[in-house]
Amino acid sequence: MATNGIDGESSADRNVEIWKIKKLIKSLEAARGNGTSMISLIIPPKDQIARVNKMLADEFGTASNIKSRVNRLSVLGAITSVQQRLKLYNKVPPNGLVIYCGTIITEEGKEKKVNIDFEPFRPINTSLYLCDNKFHTEALTALLADDNKFGFIVMDGNGALFGTLSGNTREVLHKFTVDLPKKHGRGGQSALRFARLRMEKRHNYVRKVAEVAVTLFISNDKPNISGLVLAGSADFKTELSQSDMFDPRLQSRIIKIVDVSYGGENGFNQAIELASDALANVKFIQEKKLIGRYFDEISQDTGKYCFGVDDTLRALEMGAVDILIVWENIDVQRYNLKNHSTDEERILFLRPEQEKDKTHFTDKETGVEMELMEQMPLLEWFANNYKNFGATLEIITDKSQEGAQFVKGFGGIGGILRYQVDFQMMEPMLDEFDNFDLDDY
Amino acid sequence: MAAANGGDSVPEAWDDISGGTGDAGGEMDSGFGKKPALNVDAPVFMPGQNVFAPAFQPFVPTVPNSSSPESTNTDNAVPGDQDSPQKDGTQNSEDAEADNQKEPEEWDQEDEKPEADQQGTEDVDDEKEEDEDEEDEDDDEPIVVPKKKPAEAVKIRKDHINVVFIGHVDAGKSTIGGHLLYLTGMVDKRTLEKYEREAKEKNRETWYLSWALDTNTEEREKGKTVEVGRAYFETEKKHFTVLDAPGHKSFVPNMICGASQADLAILVISARRGEFETGFERGGQTREHAMLVKTAGVRHLIVLINKMDDPTVNWDVERYNECKEKLLPYLKKCGFNPKTDIYFLPCSGLTGAYLRYAPEEDLCPWYRGPSLLEYLDSLPSMNRENDAPVRVPVVDRYKAMGTIMLGKIESGVVTLNQKLMLMPNKTLVKVVSLTMDEEESEDAFPGENVNIKVTGVEEEDVSPGFVLCSPENLCHTGRIFDAQIVILEHKSIICAGYSCMLHIHTCAEEVTIKILICLIDKKTGEKTQVRPRFIKQDQVGVARMMVNGGMICLETFKDFPQMGRFTLRDEGKTIAIGKVLKIID
Repeated sequence: MATNGIDGESSADRNVEIWKIKKLIKSLEAARGNGTSMISLIIPPKDQIARVNKMLADEFGTASNIKSRVNRLSVLGAITSVQQRLKLYNKVPPNGLVIYCGTIITEEGKEKKVNIDFEPFRPINTSLYLCDNKFHTEALTALLADDNKFGFIVMDGNGALFGTLSGNTREVLHKFTVDLPKKHGRGGQSALRFARLRMEKRHNYVRKVAEVAVTLFISNDKPNISGLVLAGSADFKTELSQSDMFDPRLQSRIIKIVDVSYGGENGFNQAIELASDALANVKFIQEKKLIGRYFDEISQDTGKYCFGVDDTLRALEMGAVDILIVWENIDVQRYNLKNHSTDEERILFLRPEQEKDKTHFTDKETGVEMELMEQMPLLEWFANNYKNFGATLEIITDKSQEGAQFVKGFGGIGGILRYQVDFQMMEPMLDEFDNFDLDDY
Repeated sequence: MAAANGGDSVPEAWDDISGGTGDAGGEMDSGFGKKPALNVDAPVFMPGQNVFAPAFQPFVPTVPNSSSPESTNTDNAVPGDQDSPQKDGTQNSEDAEADNQKEPEEWDQEDEKPEADQQGTEDVDDEKEEDEDEEDEDDDEPIVVPKKKPAEAVKIRKDHINVVFIGHVDAGKSTIGGHLLYLTGMVDKRTLEKYEREAKEKNRETWYLSWALDTNTEEREKGKTVEVGRAYFETEKKHFTVLDAPGHKSFVPNMICGASQADLAILVISARRGEFETGFERGGQTREHAMLVKTAGVRHLIVLINKMDDPTVNWDVERYNECKEKLLPYLKKCGFNPKTDIYFLPCSGLTGAYLRYAPEEDLCPWYRGPSLLEYLDSLPSMNRENDAPVRVPVVDRYKAMGTIMLGKIESGVVTLNQKLMLMPNKTLVKVVSLTMDEEESEDAFPGENVNIKVTGVEEEDVSPGFVLCSPENLCHTGRIFDAQIVILEHKSIICAGYSCMLHIHTCAEEVTIKILICLIDKKTGEKTQVRPRFIKQDQVGVARMMVNGGMICLETFKDFPQMGRFTLRDEGKTIAIGKVLKIID
């Protein structure tokens, strides 16, 4: 995080880097090509360029035997292209090298040649060469997944929930409900019997949770999580942790046992919150803290905050923004328009529903339709340019409680400022709801 | 109401909320005001009458009379006032629907004298305010007087009151509850001796009383109640269902469920040095519980200062007053009127002092008021809506030769073989048996806590939070609703997208705030700032909320307060309270 000093600065940059790769993966996954002409090449660190070159040359020989002319030409073309690209490197970069090359078919049905090479932000320990009709990004996705994956078991009297937290993704793996007898005060002569039945049901419940935990958190005879948090409202969680039925491999991974008041999703959220000191390095927690800090600025009314596209940009231009917070899926587009008659350039930020309104694209005074110079998603523009404004960029998700509030309540864009700035004009809220008749209340 | 409470900040607002519409406050006050109705000749007993009788005025004069023969008491004050409040010239020069605000004042004035008469034993150095409280109690007390008519009383159905015990963990809720059961003969001596023996084996001698209510082994081992314990006892005139709420903060959701069925709350405070303080500081459950029962619709609070026999306290009046003084402002803030809604009482759950019998005078010379049972027995009857359509929020259900649902009847009368609609799933069910505290019954009246066995639905298809309704008049169901909320405690801001747990009647669901509609000025009640970005602690606002899980049963606060008020909780804290204004979808 940016506040952590020098180290933090680079980690914030790295997060942007990660986001860029994520985006790239998304676009690569969507790409489809003709035949099996799309090459995915991953060279692990410490491999030799020469060896790869030789391998490519061999492949080139094999590929020239392909019968279909179209396919043969495109495969050969792609291999040549990769070879040329490899010439730019005299040795494999420290983190390895990834190259994607091929002819993809765009949405409009046109062909487009792609050749992407980059060094991943973290050492990649995969060697891969594949010609297929799509790009293979599994290795990259695995790279993105935080190696620290934490398991959660939230169990209370109504049911159990199994989830994981890794990086900034929170996932519910499984949940089920149980029906345990409550204390109804039933009894009389059967009181003992009821008590026994009750104990048995509870015992079975603990057993079931222990069994499900094994199927979910142990794969290939090894725990697939680096830590386990047990949460629950009654004694079940302690009972589970001490029970013989609970796999000792998982038992040794328990990092924390927390008390939550509710089961289910809410309990999961609370468990994450309560275990946050044990999970301090997880992106999800950092994200929560960051937005929590932003909210603190607002609740204390320090004036050192901004939100909404216009205000945020104004603050950016002033150089006032310390940390720029943007939702990863923000759907604002940045338009660079040019008026031909006056040669005046204008920049617009539009949401999808505003894009439909063509009046944005005509000059109000002259009525001339303006030429579209450039269009890109706002977040991409931020990712490319945030350094020019002296800000750090944090890309957040709406998976956490705070994240959801930030997205829903503040439009998914905002910033923590270095000093107080007065924004005269408040951006009007986008109204998807009808107007309220206040007299109703 | 609001005025009577004095100008506090937060709770004032809440009170506005609850009392703002007028009916809640009115209803409640009148409920208590009706006390005398109980004491009047048995045949007259008709709940629902005299709803607007001026709340407490009638019995004020009875106080001095209490020393004089009873006949006068009943004749002149009670029945007269009750049955024809308006005609009664002596007392009610005011309109029958006199403002609530006025009542307290009058009270004070008139009480001056009775106090002297009645509380001669009481220490004079008691604070003025305290005295007032006590008087209130004493005022209530005289109602006990007409004990002469037990014969008739037996014939009529005893008034049913649901009492919930609340308070910080280890304050002694279960112990007091268990002791009350013992004193009223609901738990026999042999069982108790057995408990005592077993407890001794575990070196937990003082716990044995609570075992009458803490029936689970886990609860007994740790001495902590987990689920709401349920039992009943009877006094001369009343039938009480005891709900023993857990005090531990992890089990507050269970406690809310219990509180939602209660008419009356007994707040148990430990007077032991250190324990009172931890229970009361922020994060302690004393505050939270008091706020929660108020939100659950409980209007009357009895505060038991427990553990007076503890060596660190030793029936010290100073300590008693200290606890009381610290509690009062907060309870006031919660919206309880110290004069009419709260009664303080010292006691010892372990020795049983002041539970049923008062201890020797030299032990506690400074309090000679009624004991807990005496006071409970003297309470006025509640105002119940017999003619209204049936509403029974389901607290719990289980299977025993059929589907059995537990719940308190909020309104309407349930009879055997009646067809009812189970909402929100709209399943038609038939009542095949009604059990009220282990006694079968033909019918059940509002306020009674019943087990209803039905046919037509499987146990698995019923969840807590469902509501049994009259088929011709169904309750509302909804997913999206607008509500007024008061933020009590939240570290940062709340804006659209916030999700938390909603507790409404017996239902607990996760909700998300879709949109904030406006803020409300707490002082003026005006709507300010339409469409705010966020809402902070201590602010009041209107928000549109969506239940994530699907449809739930709810009503607007205006129509049916019991099903229209709710609590929002998150991360183990109560963050807001509110009332439903409009059901959207």
